[in-house]
Amino acid sequence: MLSVFNSVPTHMDYKGQKLAEQIFQGIILVSAVIGFIYGLIIEQFGWTVYIVLAGFGISCLLTLPPWPMYRRNPLNWQPVIPESSGETREKPQENMKKKKHK
Amino acid sequence: MNTVLSRANSLFAFSLSVMAALTFGCFITTAFKDRSVPVDISVTKVMLKNVDDFTGPREKSDLGFVYFDVTADLHPIFDWNVKQLFLYLSAEYSTKSNALNQVVLWDKIVLRGDNTKLNLKEMKSKYFFFDDGNGLRANKNITLTLSWNVVPNAGILPLITGSGHISVPFPDTYETARSY
Repeated sequence: MLSVFNSVPTHMDYKGQKLAEQIFQGIILVSAVIGFIYGLIIEQFGWTVYIVLAGFGISCLLTLPPWPMYRRNPLNWQPVIPESSGETREKPQENMKKKKHK
Repeated sequence: MNTVLSRANSLFAFSLSVMAALTFGCFITTAFKDRSVPVDISVTKVMLKNVDDFTGPREKSDLGFVYFDVTADLHPIFDWNVKQLFLYLSAEYSTKSNALNQVVLWDKIVLRGDNTKLNLKEMKSKYFFFDDGNGLRANKNITLTLSWNVVPNAGILPLITGSGHISVPFPDTYETARSY
């Protein structure tokens, strides 16, 4: 059961993580400012909360799934070093697994 | 930030912090506002009876009946940090035994979105106006004031007295008590 979830690739590369964090912080801060001003004008604090929640939803959609724009700078792994015949069967498999997971 | 869960965690924590800051902003924009409005109270009829006080082991006590009109515009009190107002009309007077007596005669809740123009005529008091003795008879200075609690979204719960009160004299004689 858990292995099914673990096999779904969700990683972002380092630059992608930074970009995702900047995107959600920007969206939520902007929606907070808009919501505060709008709520102050129409005198309804409820609308401030709704607008911030909308910003939360939008940034969830934009930053939770690992969209391709967060995976443009993959890490350059060193090529597989050939070793003695006993371990060559396992090592490449491990490396492939690693690439999928990270 | 490497997995969906860690991203969701930081996103949720950041949103909560922003929401808390906004709530504080809502409080600070209204914290120093004057929430007092003029109130016009008039008393149309006063009756005084001397009956058994069922609330305690006393002898006969004074029971007052006050009929009153209240006119006020509460609209300036409401803003985005007010959920409801709890209005109450209280009577203050002094007797020989107590320098200050306060009795709540009537109250009303005004919700956000309700009609804010109070225009009440010939209101009966909701609660018994019992004195703990015979201090109401011939008391020449019984002051009625309207006060309110402001229930906010965030911040303090202020207790405000409306400007405008009325002092009424009570009669010197009791009405014959048939029922109360």
